[in-house]
Amino acid sequence: MPVTAQTDPVQVVRERFPEGVREVKDCWGVPALVVDRADLASVARFLREEPSLRFDYLSDIVGLDFPRRNPRFELTYNLYSIPHRHRLFLKVPVPEGDAAAPTVTGVWKSAGWPEREVYDLFGVTFRDHPDLRRILTPDWWKGHPLRKDYPLGGEEVAFTFNKDEILEQEPLWKEGVGRTDYASFLGGEISEVEKGKMMVLNMGPQHPSTHGVLRLVVELHGEIVTKVIPHIGYLHTGIEKTAESLSWLQAITVTDRMDYLNPPGNNLGYVLAVEKLLGLKAPPRAQAIRVIIAELTRIASHVAWLSFQALDLGAISVFFYCFREREKILDLMEMASGVRMMTSYITIGGVRKDLPEGFLTKTKALMDELPDRLAEYEALLTENKIWLERTRGIGIIGQVEAIAWALSGPTLRGSGVAWDLRKAHPYCGYDTYDFDIAVEREGDVYARYLVRLEEIRQSRRIIYQAMERLPDGPSITEDRKLALPPRGELDKSMEAVIHQFLIASGGFPVPNGEAYVCVESPRGELGFYLVSDGGNRPYRMKVRAPSYIHLQALPAMAEGGMVADLVAVVGSVDPVMGEVDR
Amino acid sequence: MSFDPLSGQGVLFAKLEDLVQWSRKSSIWPFTFGLACCAIEMMSLVANRFDLARFGAEVFRATPRQADLMIVAGRVSMKMAPVLKLLYEQMPEPKWVIAMGACASCGGVFNNYAIVQGVDRVVPVDVYVPGCPPSPDALLYGVIKLQEKIQHERLQLGSLLPVREAGD
Repeated sequence: MPVTAQTDPVQVVRERFPEGVREVKDCWGVPALVVDRADLASVARFLREEPSLRFDYLSDIVGLDFPRRNPRFELTYNLYSIPHRHRLFLKVPVPEGDAAAPTVTGVWKSAGWPEREVYDLFGVTFRDHPDLRRILTPDWWKGHPLRKDYPLGGEEVAFTFNKDEILEQEPLWKEGVGRTDYASFLGGEISEVEKGKMMVLNMGPQHPSTHGVLRLVVELHGEIVTKVIPHIGYLHTGIEKTAESLSWLQAITVTDRMDYLNPPGNNLGYVLAVEKLLGLKAPPRAQAIRVIIAELTRIASHVAWLSFQALDLGAISVFFYCFREREKILDLMEMASGVRMMTSYITIGGVRKDLPEGFLTKTKALMDELPDRLAEYEALLTENKIWLERTRGIGIIGQVEAIAWALSGPTLRGSGVAWDLRKAHPYCGYDTYDFDIAVEREGDVYARYLVRLEEIRQSRRIIYQAMERLPDGPSITEDRKLALPPRGELDKSMEAVIHQFLIASGGFPVPNGEAYVCVESPRGELGFYLVSDGGNRPYRMKVRAPSYIHLQALPAMAEGGMVADLVAVVGSVDPVMGEVDR
Repeated sequence: MSFDPLSGQGVLFAKLEDLVQWSRKSSIWPFTFGLACCAIEMMSLVANRFDLARFGAEVFRATPRQADLMIVAGRVSMKMAPVLKLLYEQMPEPKWVIAMGACASCGGVFNNYAIVQGVDRVVPVDVYVPGCPPSPDALLYGVIKLQEKIQHERLQLGSLLPVREAGD
């Protein structure tokens, strides 16, 4: 599909809208067009429709707040074209006095939640948005946390002394589940089903099969799901705000805790973005180690996913089989970093420490036995009648729809789109590894299962290659301004002590600029949009969390199906709530 | 004393209080309630390698009405706190709470607007397990500590409920 004749998107848009494009910026290799909000709708439609551009994939919307600038807010639409494989930022300034912009949900379906997020965290409203409510913070929240004049907060717990106030404003508590006031549950909308035959079911935020604290309000007609409304934010952690108060190096630790099935992968995405701003490249050995760690984590994440999915569908024994392998991989992580899960192992300029002795032997042993283990899973599931019954033809989403909802990773590849960031935009030298993209056409739960199993096999191939070629040399950059000196040097060199002190106490400055880097996490496109004002801490860290975007498409997959299949569909999307709510 | 474990014959004397608490500590039913990262380690504890069943606490219940131990596994957000409180109130007495991990114990690395700085501001906590996340063996130690605590709780014979002492 990729078109070889490269067109310059900026040129095409400029020709069509000579007045509309106010300015063109460069965000580290990605062109950014600044357009007036009055022109946003027409430019957006043009970008999507024009055959030489075809920006059919709205990755994310980034809100930015510059209190000293006028206009104060800036919206960045992160656009991508699956057929042409190019990226473009559309920047729309929004003044403080009239903080509103037209919605683009009519152009890209996936704009729904990102716009709600910007509204929630920045207070910018979107005209004609179909459902503009707070999404991450509770309904009773006051203020918009990611504005620069909003304090980071901490300590005070609102809940302990204003419980009654909260209960009054939460429809769930006031009405109780099972009452007839459906409108308040469904956010004011009601589909045209006779109320007598309709039932509203509340699922979560505490539910064994929602993979965390996801809450779904489900409207049922008999056993058929007629409407699903996901409510998220029950794990909203303020990670993006917290990162703004940490140094560039410290912020790695909070990225671990977003997608907690893939902590080193989060480190990797963030670190690559910082390195892009710094113009730094990790040494070859570090690149290879990063690939090994990232792929091991992908396997650990996929087996964990398989265990949860099987558990949700009643196959508890699969859980025990899968956790056996997961434990072995966690042992490897512990060997390398000292921690099982939140490793923070991948750091700016390389990895924290070289691989310990015996790591490669143990990894190789695990990789050698992996095919047998996979055969065990397959024997339990792949041709299991119950498994087939519960996953085949369930939660179908087609190719066009999948792109419109901006799905990525295995969820997109299960719908027949061979798009993998490791191939499309290689990082860490993935272009030099020999592996295939796992694709299935059906777009159902079973297809996503097959894709993930195949990805485990491909990861195994990559790990073998990376171990084989693992070059000698340093595992972290030699630039002492950016990387902590090794412990041994501290005893001998005063200079090392000074560097250590400077990095540990204040951190290092990162040049002014904006950069977006995305990596292929086990769930999909995990992107970090970093803004630096030249200081020693991020001005803004926006995470494009794949699960967040994917959950938005849940109604499209689940509506019309049976209520019993809902857990299968939720599981197949593989949401990690830590990443969804951030 | 006069009880022979091999033949299974004889008489065993014990205080009622000890027997009741011994049976309670040996059959803890935790609540299937995962919040964040710690929940994954909690699942590792249930899985084959660490096997919580060895301590009689593997029967995880998905409803608070059948559970007596709430393991708060992860960070508690301001949005989740009222829900958590409601779930705790739905659990029948006697009930216990383990705050698993730094976030549940004190807010952890997230001292910000969104996270409750310790779940003990919302529900009473019996055992705090440090770590980010605590390894399964650390949580296992927490469960054992809780069992010790249950064994030494005092009974009100009238209601068979443990007496909560000040500062408990």
